[in-house]
Amino acid sequence: MKAVSEPVITLKNFFERAREGQLTGIRCTACGEIAIPPKEFCPACGKRAWAPVPLSGEGTIDSFTVIRVAPRSFAGDAPYAIAHVRLVEGPGLLGRVLDVPLDRLSVGLRVTFRPLIASEQTSVGFVPA
Amino acid sequence: MRRVAVLGVGVTKFGKHDRTSGELFAEAAVEALADAGIEPRQVQALYYGNVVGGETEKQLHTGPQAASILGIPGVPTTRIETACASSHAAFRHAVMEIGAGVSDVVLVGGGERVLNVTTEESTEYFAYASDATWEQTLGLTFPGVFALIARAHMTKYGTTEEQMAAVAVKNHHHGTLNPKAQFQKEITVEQVMRSPKVADPLKLYDCCPFSDGGAAVVLVSEDIARGRRRAIWVLSSAAASDFMLLGDKRDLSRVPATERAAAAAYRDAGCGPEDVDVVELHDCFTMAEIVATEGLGLFEAGTGGVAAEKGWTSLGGKVPVNPSGGLKAKGHPIGATGAAQVAEIVTQLRGEAGPRQVDGARTGLVHTLGGNTATVCVSLLGRE
Repeated sequence: MKAVSEPVITLKNFFERAREGQLTGIRCTACGEIAIPPKEFCPACGKRAWAPVPLSGEGTIDSFTVIRVAPRSFAGDAPYAIAHVRLVEGPGLLGRVLDVPLDRLSVGLRVTFRPLIASEQTSVGFVPA
Repeated sequence: MRRVAVLGVGVTKFGKHDRTSGELFAEAAVEALADAGIEPRQVQALYYGNVVGGETEKQLHTGPQAASILGIPGVPTTRIETACASSHAAFRHAVMEIGAGVSDVVLVGGGERVLNVTTEESTEYFAYASDATWEQTLGLTFPGVFALIARAHMTKYGTTEEQMAAVAVKNHHHGTLNPKAQFQKEITVEQVMRSPKVADPLKLYDCCPFSDGGAAVVLVSEDIARGRRRAIWVLSSAAASDFMLLGDKRDLSRVPATERAAAAAYRDAGCGPEDVDVVELHDCFTMAEIVATEGLGLFEAGTGGVAAEKGWTSLGGKVPVNPSGGLKAKGHPIGATGAAQVAEIVTQLRGEAGPRQVDGARTGLVHTLGGNTATVCVSLLGRE
């Protein structure tokens, strides 16, 4: 069996850095595609030639919703906002929108990444830019 | 590939049941075998759809369980899980097994039970079909997924909440004509608009219900179908996937997996959207129907809402969509849904749909979507 190099960045790596406030993407050194890890082959060109790239965390809301009927584990949080954010570097990312009144959410709103930390769990959040 | 035909179909009433998913599937399968005139001992394989059995019934290995309850414990069974598209994916694999000459008689179906748990629990279990690391941790729900799609479609094309409501009103009307539908009452656009918000801009009446139910389809080779007047032919059965993460999608107003699966299904059947007389598609939410009618090529991108509002997708319209009542009114026992959609199209093409019959239907399309739009199956069926 041929030896294969380790993935450039794993989910664990990504969320450890996210917890510190830094979003990390991967850039295909063959075609320039920038993506959110983990991925082995580039979905754009098929090569396996990723390099880590720091992302600014800045982006724009493409679409959003306010969850009012929540899953059991989140029932105490409802209502809360989730947005699809297009990052300035290109990739899209879902996140909770924090610090924006629910009736002030809008498509096109500029936001910036802020980690959402709940004990051991880190997830993606955004606040107004 | 050999030609494949549907010889029999069966569906339970959808709604709340006090029986397990395996029992519900078995009831539908008895009906399908009787409809086909096929004896249980003739069945050579079972492909089975079941999604949240591990959660709501604490039951894995549901394929052989379903076969055992039906009374055909000896056949090879395969459970397929592609979220809400499970029994349509099962159908496609059964078509391939017969087409490849491995078997001549294959049973396909699904069963699901969710109304034995609370809405909060089932909302959580359904959300397991979104990504555990990136999406479930946000508290994303399936109404939330389609709310994001709805907002993107409204922003890009100006689609309105009233147009979405028109889909619900239409499918509820169709449901009144289907005795096995979970809901058999008319609703109005005003009722939809006034219903409580679930995930803005989706309201309660934009959403299909949680349902228990079972469905089954008997597939056979051409040799066995020959001379059987009520046989309905599988013209093609295709599938496509897309990125698992909603974040990775470039344009939330579209479902690329629907577009790819439809292109493959039309190509393999040698026909196009203009040839389709009747459609059963995946209206888990009203916006899902609008986006699907566009992705299947029935209407141009951005005009699916207008089509619903103008009645073009109603019984008697240009292309009747979801004459069964769809997931919205017929109900959505997720593992059984694809097989139930096939059953409706077969019934329509046989001319046996009674008050909801689409006159003269010769070619029908079945579209089933799974998860965050990451799985889509499209099949075309036709009368000889």
